[in-house]
Amino acid sequence: MSPEPAAQALTEAWTARFGDEITTEETFGGRAVGVPPEHWLDALTFARDDLSCGYFDWLTGVDELDEGFAVVVHVYSLERRHHLLIRTRVPKRAPVLPTATGVYRGAEWHERETSEMFGVLFEGHPNLVPLLLPDGFEGHPLRKDFVLAARVAKPWPGAKEPGESGHGAPSRRRVRPPGVPDDWGPHA
Amino acid sequence: MGPLSRLAPKPVKFVLNWGRRYSLWVFNFGLACCAIEFIATSMSRHDFIRLGVIPFAPGPRQADLMVVSGTVSDKMAPAVRRLYEQMPEPKYVISFGACSNCGGPYWDSYCVTKGVDQIIPVDVYVPGCPPRPEALLHGIVRLQDKIAGESLGDRYAPSNGVGGEPVAPPPAPRPLSATVLRRPVQPPPDAGETRPLPPPLADESPAEEPPAEESTAEAPTRETPVVRPTEDVTQPVPPVEDEGTPDRADRNEHDPSIIPGLAEDGHDDEIGRDR
Repeated sequence: MSPEPAAQALTEAWTARFGDEITTEETFGGRAVGVPPEHWLDALTFARDDLSCGYFDWLTGVDELDEGFAVVVHVYSLERRHHLLIRTRVPKRAPVLPTATGVYRGAEWHERETSEMFGVLFEGHPNLVPLLLPDGFEGHPLRKDFVLAARVAKPWPGAKEPGESGHGAPSRRRVRPPGVPDDWGPHA
Repeated sequence: MGPLSRLAPKPVKFVLNWGRRYSLWVFNFGLACCAIEFIATSMSRHDFIRLGVIPFAPGPRQADLMVVSGTVSDKMAPAVRRLYEQMPEPKYVISFGACSNCGGPYWDSYCVTKGVDQIIPVDVYVPGCPPRPEALLHGIVRLQDKIAGESLGDRYAPSNGVGGEPVAPPPAPRPLSATVLRRPVQPPPDAGETRPLPPPLADESPAEEPPAEESTAEAPTRETPVVRPTEDVTQPVPPVEDEGTPDRADRNEHDPSIIPGLAEDGHDDEIGRDR
């Protein structure tokens, strides 16, 4: 299926602006544009001004394990009615990205949430304090290496059938919950 | 009425309890989808007003009964505790639904309080996910049975001195294992390396146990499903910090109370004020 003419024009606009430094891809979420982190603000400004994507929908992060953290922005053009996913990737050891609040002011709370959930540091953010997590929370819970420690100490309390207790048959091999390291817990 | 009702003759106590059980001004602490079931129970098909439960309390200061329906998160827990403390005595709490009973489907979440009974005393637990409105009606009837059989004089035991202001029974000491469980990923310490152990957690629990009372004895007690991990199971070691996150350095300091506002050293008015 060939892309629609409008989507093709979008791709050509991105290529004309950034050359081969960007990648474009059709995803289930719409047209995605991957930019290097040093062109992050340029890409957002380009989308806002030249592609008339004035509607900032959301910003979030994706933990891509060894490849670092992806930061994704979804913007929409109310005039031309096209969606855009703009994404970049920051290294896992030093996840630093310039803040997008200068381009889209509504990104402030989104960046605060992404910062507390993934540990991505947005440079130049006016108030980068945790937004949703309780005070004193340690760690970044949406990282994939964040262990849900309750699983270690307590097995799943549910039952597959009504009347079953939480204790399975004694012959059933105990399976470690997903995400728990092998050397954790009382059954290590 | 609290201290004097201990001296009241038995028929007067019966009448007082009878009046109290059929005039429960309820305050719905709706936090999630269970609140919809609460609303359905208050509507005309199930209609708990016929049981004397009046859902028109203007706020917690005018309410007798609080129904916690929904998922209590650690961020919300101080607010639940604070609004409970604003209610006048005598006050009752129904924990409605699996989430507020024990965490429910979020039993392993990083941000969900594992049961509202960790922060406030609960009189009746209603199981279900969500419970049907009939289950809430049944829970209300059970609470009314409990009110009919209770003695306010015993509820406010004279541990604070006769004639003192009635106070709520102190909540059970909060299990501290939630704090331990939410510590970050930590490698086991090396054998040769001596690492200072964390401060003993037992010091943080209140010294005196809450006095045993009739009301708590009659309440459907439930074992708090928290396993206290021993020291050799979960070894706390500082997490591997990524470079470039200097402002997260203060996260390393161990906070004894993972739920803000419940520590003894500050009033929960201060929550969020320092931002």
